[in-house]
Amino acid sequence: MQTVGNLFLWLALIIAVVSVGSLLWGRRMKGSEGESLINTGYLATYGVFASLTASVAILLSAFFRLDFAFQYVAENHSTDVSGLAWLYKISGVWAGREGSLLFWAWLVAMFGAYVVYRRIQETDDLSNASLAVFNIVQVFFIVSLLIQTNNPFKTSPATWLGPDGELLIAAAMNPLLQHWAMILHPPTLFVGYAGLAVPFAFAIGALISGDASKRWVTYIDRITVFSWLFLGIGIGLGAIWAYVVLGWGGFWAWDPVENASLLPWLTGVGLLHSFTVYRRRGAFKKWAVVMATATFILVILGTFITRSGVIQSVHAFQEDPISLAIFLTMMILAALAAAVGLFVRSKEFQGADEFESLTSKESSYYFNNVLMLVAAIVIAGLTMSPAFGGKSYGPATYDAIARPVGILYVFIMAVCPLLSWRKTEGPLFWKRVKVPMIGTVGLFALFTAIWWIELWPKYEAMNPGANPATSIVHTYEALIAMFVAALAISIAVHLFIEGARRRSAAKGEGFFSALGNIIFKARTQSGGYITHLGIGIILFGLVGSTMFVQETITSVPNQPGAQFSVGDYTFTYQGFNEVQLPNSDVEGTVTFDVAKNGNVIGQASPGQVSFFRQQQTKLNASVVVEPLHDVFVVFQGIDPETDLISMQVKINPLISWAWVGFVITIIGTAIAMYPKRQLAAA
Amino acid sequence: MNKRARNRLIGVTAIILIAVVAIILGAGADDGAYYRKVSEITASEEYVGDRVRVGGTVVAGSWDRQSNPMRFEIRDEDTDTGPTVQVVYAGGVPSTFGDGVVAIVTGTYSADGVIESDDMITKCPSKYESAKDAIGIGALLGQADSMTGTTLKITGYVTSEVSPPGGDTRFHVADTADGGEDLGVFYEGALPAGMDSGSQVVILGALEDDGVFAATDVSLPEESK
Repeated sequence: MQTVGNLFLWLALIIAVVSVGSLLWGRRMKGSEGESLINTGYLATYGVFASLTASVAILLSAFFRLDFAFQYVAENHSTDVSGLAWLYKISGVWAGREGSLLFWAWLVAMFGAYVVYRRIQETDDLSNASLAVFNIVQVFFIVSLLIQTNNPFKTSPATWLGPDGELLIAAAMNPLLQHWAMILHPPTLFVGYAGLAVPFAFAIGALISGDASKRWVTYIDRITVFSWLFLGIGIGLGAIWAYVVLGWGGFWAWDPVENASLLPWLTGVGLLHSFTVYRRRGAFKKWAVVMATATFILVILGTFITRSGVIQSVHAFQEDPISLAIFLTMMILAALAAAVGLFVRSKEFQGADEFESLTSKESSYYFNNVLMLVAAIVIAGLTMSPAFGGKSYGPATYDAIARPVGILYVFIMAVCPLLSWRKTEGPLFWKRVKVPMIGTVGLFALFTAIWWIELWPKYEAMNPGANPATSIVHTYEALIAMFVAALAISIAVHLFIEGARRRSAAKGEGFFSALGNIIFKARTQSGGYITHLGIGIILFGLVGSTMFVQETITSVPNQPGAQFSVGDYTFTYQGFNEVQLPNSDVEGTVTFDVAKNGNVIGQASPGQVSFFRQQQTKLNASVVVEPLHDVFVVFQGIDPETDLISMQVKINPLISWAWVGFVITIIGTAIAMYPKRQLAAA
Repeated sequence: MNKRARNRLIGVTAIILIAVVAIILGAGADDGAYYRKVSEITASEEYVGDRVRVGGTVVAGSWDRQSNPMRFEIRDEDTDTGPTVQVVYAGGVPSTFGDGVVAIVTGTYSADGVIESDDMITKCPSKYESAKDAIGIGALLGQADSMTGTTLKITGYVTSEVSPPGGDTRFHVADTADGGEDLGVFYEGALPAGMDSGSQVVILGALEDDGVFAATDVSLPEESK
């Protein structure tokens, strides 16, 4: 079966090369011959998808049959016996380096097939050139799969298997990956990664064909939003997984692999907004190409960071020079293609980039792009620094940059919808901002009250005798961030109310039906504003959950009734329960009653699982959710000598605001992405 | 394009860039750390007071999860006898932490030779050793009298179940997977990923008077990579 799997990989490679060849050749030939060659190129793209689908199916069936002759299955099969066991068989496909690369290549092929489905009727020059670029990207992916270290169809060494094909060695899926969020996190992320090859291919295709009209943008802007949305969901799920499984009580550590997924998301924000200006104003044409290329390069850089082993990280795979060379070539070629193309087509892509004033909508879009690009470059640089013999940087450096840049960014995002194209007249702006300003002040007062009661005391408790200068900067950052968050929320809400009021007055609709019409008819715009609203809520959530966390590590005697306190909370020990699962894993759980100011509000039962086969432990955190903060409880183990239970408790304020904001952002982006009934005529 | 507006635009862009660079230089100076080996920082006083990032294998038995802050020792990955450095770590302990795990810590190297760390990541060990120059089990037991107490490298197949640490022996080895003269192995560290009953192992350590082999390191044979 491994041979068959490899055969399909080779087949996919050959078909992809044929597709690239016939598309490029067919573009040069005129007449019906050229057309039939082009058609071959389109149909071959379906062939690539079919071949890779067969490869994925073979690997998947090997997981279901537990065919340990596949080395990849031996190393990544799950030993789980819970109700999720069958899902872990599927998630085994992307649990390791080789399978995840295959899965990714398959998704790229799926996007290719979708592009063919949309464009095969037209076979216009722009689409032909773009599809050729897209399939060149695909060739790189398939080639990297055929390299020994990345190949998912390696045969297990003979010594691993018993006479009946049973596995003799202790390999299995990493237990940390056996969690529901890990079933979903990689595929959503990979859908985003794979889809972001589409805008890149069309940007280069537009450069090749010299078509600087908005056509290429209208073909692909929905699929770009779709990809960016999935990337965002993937990042969010990764954060949830880190929060509950890694057991350190945070959701973002500026780990190289986390950064890798954030980078294309940041430039993706710039890309989407450049597309808006491109479509509506015929401007930002070069920006759109640059952002599409940067986003694609950063996707590949992410793979490079995680798979090349150049950077020490929690997740890093082992070192592998050949993949390194392939991914490096891809990045350099992409950058070259965009740079040469923009140089040659400089005149055509000279958009209507007129800046009449710093207070115009254009300039807010411009700063949006600048900030996102700068942020991406800085984070990439800091992340890659140790690979070039430089310093490695911890969260403190990243936070020091991310806070001011992030706050400034959200500010620009918040006021952008109130600005006019070309120039905003002062009096008009003040007229527009007057009502949302009242809302902002009200919200800010509320946030400040929460900060004063809930947050500030935690900072004092955690940083006794802190440097006054540091405290002042910290306080100002928090206050400004809360003001900007209030502004973003208030303006977004105001835009909907104002829009609905106007529509109901003009069309004679009721207020709420007017509101519904705005949301569901002008989807790109209203989805964008909902996203802005979500970002404002996230910002307030981040102020609490990253700047004012209170952490305590303590131990209590292993006797029911024993107590310890953290802040207002008292934990009363109830007992210890140890279960041996059928697969010999042992799960130990401690139970505590949690009381706040004397009233019992719930139970916390954090656990610790010892994985038999992998000889590894996993901490299962327990979280008590309260409106203003999470109480995050981790069981660190029982000391056999002293019989003391070691507990770690973190109070994470406002973290649920970040999750709620995240969900609103997703909904907003989904509304913006939802396709129009027919695509705008080109 | 309006020239005044363009100049302002460039001006504001420049201010943003300068501010970002200034923040990186300011914050990065305190927070950034160069990667150093344990042998480098313990060799001289040069790095005292510096913020360093050091990776190494956690020395078996040197730690206690319950202590607060947690203390443990690490040693360079490529050696079994090299110098060790003590780490005092304040923060949540990653769930994969344990003997033999590679911990990468970041912190200040203090004058008394301790890394005061606030950041730690762990990597699981995957250890391989060449079995070529290792002694077989039969050969070892045949000349047990002369070999007792000497540090040796031996190789054999695991013939028993692997038990958790804490007992008299962790597992037994013999020259073939289905039997032969068999030797108990005592070992408290982390076993290599992929080892199980039936696999070939390469063991460093010494034969004790009681006939048990006290291992300092257990690996999979390099040839099986």
